[in-house]
Amino acid sequence: MNGMTAVEKVLAAKSGKASVRPGDVVFPDPDYVMIHDGVVMGAKRELDALGINRLAAPDKVMMVSDHDVIYGSARAAERGAFNRAAARQWGVKNFYDVGRGGHGHIFPMESGLLLPGMFYFDNDRHATNAGAIGAFGFRIGAEISRVLATGTNWVQVPKSVKLTLQGRLKPGVYARDIGFHLAMLIKKKIFDVDIDYKVLEYAGDLDQFSLAARAALCSSPTEIQAYGVFVPPSDAILAHARAKAQRPFTPVYADANAHYEAEFTLDVSRLEPQIALPGGVQNAVNLSEAAGTAVDHAFIGSCGSGMWDDLVQAATVLKGRRIADGVRLFIAPGTEESTKRLSREGLMQVFIEAGAIMLPAGCGPCNDAVIGPVHNGETSISTATNNPSGRFGAREAKLYLGSPATVAASAVTGKITDPREFMMMETAL
Amino acid sequence: MTATDNIEWVLKGRCYKLGHDVPHPGGVVPNRIIIGRHFDPADIIPHLFEETDPGFHTRCKPGDIIVAGRNLGMGPKMNGYIAMQALGLGLVCESMPFLGYRAAVGCGLRVMSDCVNVLEFCETGDELEVDFRNGFFINHTRDIRREYPPLPDGLLEIVALGGNTGWLKKWWADQANERQQT
Repeated sequence: MNGMTAVEKVLAAKSGKASVRPGDVVFPDPDYVMIHDGVVMGAKRELDALGINRLAAPDKVMMVSDHDVIYGSARAAERGAFNRAAARQWGVKNFYDVGRGGHGHIFPMESGLLLPGMFYFDNDRHATNAGAIGAFGFRIGAEISRVLATGTNWVQVPKSVKLTLQGRLKPGVYARDIGFHLAMLIKKKIFDVDIDYKVLEYAGDLDQFSLAARAALCSSPTEIQAYGVFVPPSDAILAHARAKAQRPFTPVYADANAHYEAEFTLDVSRLEPQIALPGGVQNAVNLSEAAGTAVDHAFIGSCGSGMWDDLVQAATVLKGRRIADGVRLFIAPGTEESTKRLSREGLMQVFIEAGAIMLPAGCGPCNDAVIGPVHNGETSISTATNNPSGRFGAREAKLYLGSPATVAASAVTGKITDPREFMMMETAL
Repeated sequence: MTATDNIEWVLKGRCYKLGHDVPHPGGVVPNRIIIGRHFDPADIIPHLFEETDPGFHTRCKPGDIIVAGRNLGMGPKMNGYIAMQALGLGLVCESMPFLGYRAAVGCGLRVMSDCVNVLEFCETGDELEVDFRNGFFINHTRDIRREYPPLPDGLLEIVALGGNTGWLKKWWADQANERQQT
């Protein structure tokens, strides 16, 4: 008899079952229920129309204002007011409103709310970030209303796919580069697996990856329809979780005889910095193929690259340098805590003196470009989660993706640039 | 009598066969219905399969089964399934993105996915009988019978109650009754 994968174990534990198998329909009891500022109105109106005026477990609900933090329109301000009234009426105390937490897929891991082995429902598909800390976030979309009302909803246990990473990344190459490269390998059928509704479970040489790097590893698979990503927590991740934990937790690891739909191995030691060409993360190429492309717009942040280490990566490149004339660079820290730390540790000064524009913690332009959009004909390079046409507003703009270091280096030169050029300069100095 | 007894789980009707990789926008309903956010069945029904088979809605009958190949319904989801459910149709396919399946169940559509090679076992117009609760696919015209994964038990009530909204409505009514009794 097969053992269970990590996510199968999480779902079994939260559903009160000794074991589950892919395809089983279960009703897990979540540790949290997350709903973001863009969808509270829809859920509230849906439940109000049915007369449902109370939530099953308001104490488990995390309401997060991260998608539209600076109200750029009267409509956004109206939505903010609606959300505050909804939190009051529903009795939601864990309301991380504007300026109170930051990005809902980052601050709960940073602050010890979301811990290894946990399960939560989320309206948003970037719940997959939970895999960075060894938890499982399940995107439920508009059906979050049923979770709010009844406490749970159906989950069909997904199949898992195992990816073993071998080797260490070279300096200047980052976890985000692995994600882009992996999306290309899967979409081009070099790794021949249908990833739709699968959980991608990492294995192998994972100790090199910090929490931020693990969040980056979760990002691109999500964009090609993986439903979950799981990175088994290392000792360092467990130490972080123990130090920050706001409640007890039990880490979960796959059984040695767990069954995977497919298994692949990727040697990351020879990976070069990647660029996702316009159209999607799967359009990843070695940076050298896109080097020299002029850029007008740059952004660092998002679920995939909004943690502290990502900001440090960018600051390392930007320190003592200025971004090129004609380029605007937006930086959105993932959390309010990171914003404070930037200020305390002098990195805020680095960014401001480089000419970057600091945005409040949250999604930044990555949410439908409610702030910091591009214009037709412009070219952008960013760490956004994805880059289909129109992601930053204008449909006739070219959107490239890279690691935070690559985006910072490109903002400095005004064209897509290998961040190792800056590291070599530092070595030479 | 439970909610799941209120619906006919065995549909008997004609086959309406689609190919592989039929997208939701264009292949099932025109994109303008999706981006126009039409969710009222009356608004969607006249446009079901409009771009490939205009007037489909005037020819189909309740109980007819749409049979699709692999990867049905890519793109933004839901509107087409609302129309299929309102017309009393069933849906059988070789595969569909999970979110499409979830949307179909949420609309109360009788649906079976993961029906391997089902396209090989039927042609448009064949007399089909499909038991969505027990996972039987029978083609009476060709005397073929196959077993496929049925709708899981945990989802039957949602489909029987016409989808997520109907399910929530009943759940809340049941809660109110319980509160009254206590």
